[in-house]
Amino acid sequence: MIIVVSICSIILAAAVIVGLVRVLTAKDLGSRAVISDLMYFSAIGMLTMFGITVSSSIVLDAIFLSSMVGILATIALSRILTRGLR
Amino acid sequence: MNDAVAITLVGVFGITGSLLMLFSAIAMFRVRDALSRINVFSPATGLGMPLIVAAAYVYDLHAEGFSWGSLLMAVVAVLCLIIVSSVGSNTLSRASVLSGQPVYRKTVPNRLASPPAGAVDEDPDAPKEPEEPTGRS
Repeated sequence: MIIVVSICSIILAAAVIVGLVRVLTAKDLGSRAVISDLMYFSAIGMLTMFGITVSSSIVLDAIFLSSMVGILATIALSRILTRGLR
Repeated sequence: MNDAVAITLVGVFGITGSLLMLFSAIAMFRVRDALSRINVFSPATGLGMPLIVAAAYVYDLHAEGFSWGSLLMAVVAVLCLIIVSSVGSNTLSRASVLSGQPVYRKTVPNRLASPPAGAVDEDPDAPKEPEEPTGRS
């Protein structure tokens, strides 16, 4: 189980690093908002894999709650893009 | 469920989901504007994250046995990821168009920038022309 979960964590960490590089090289704000969303979901995946590694019993609770409140970050970023207008 | 089956299922689901996230991140380099990035972002939330939830559920099933609470939580998490991320992508793309983010120049036809030929595009909210003053005193 450890090996499989480590592989998943490494792939997700690679996704976060690629996203960070893309945020640094992006020119427009919309792209940065989208890529930060992708990094948020990658971080949820890494949290899940960490929970499996330490044999935690709240893995499903964590991924359930974070998938429900994930829209708040997206909507906040889109409101910031439009300067508060809808 | 014995160990080998659990590890295989967690591996297949988890690695496939993680690879989808990584490919989505790489695809961010290959498309040129924010709208296309939102487009290539959907596989990560629509298929990658549900697969990771499936991996977590298989692990939970292996570690703690079956319970209706865990099953309900996993199903609601998958539904939330699909529905919520669709609504979020819609909001974000609308915001990026409204705030005037640049669109790649080779995107033709760009119906968002110019309406197609022959389309009637009148603004119903535009202020009307002031009427001629009548003989009312």
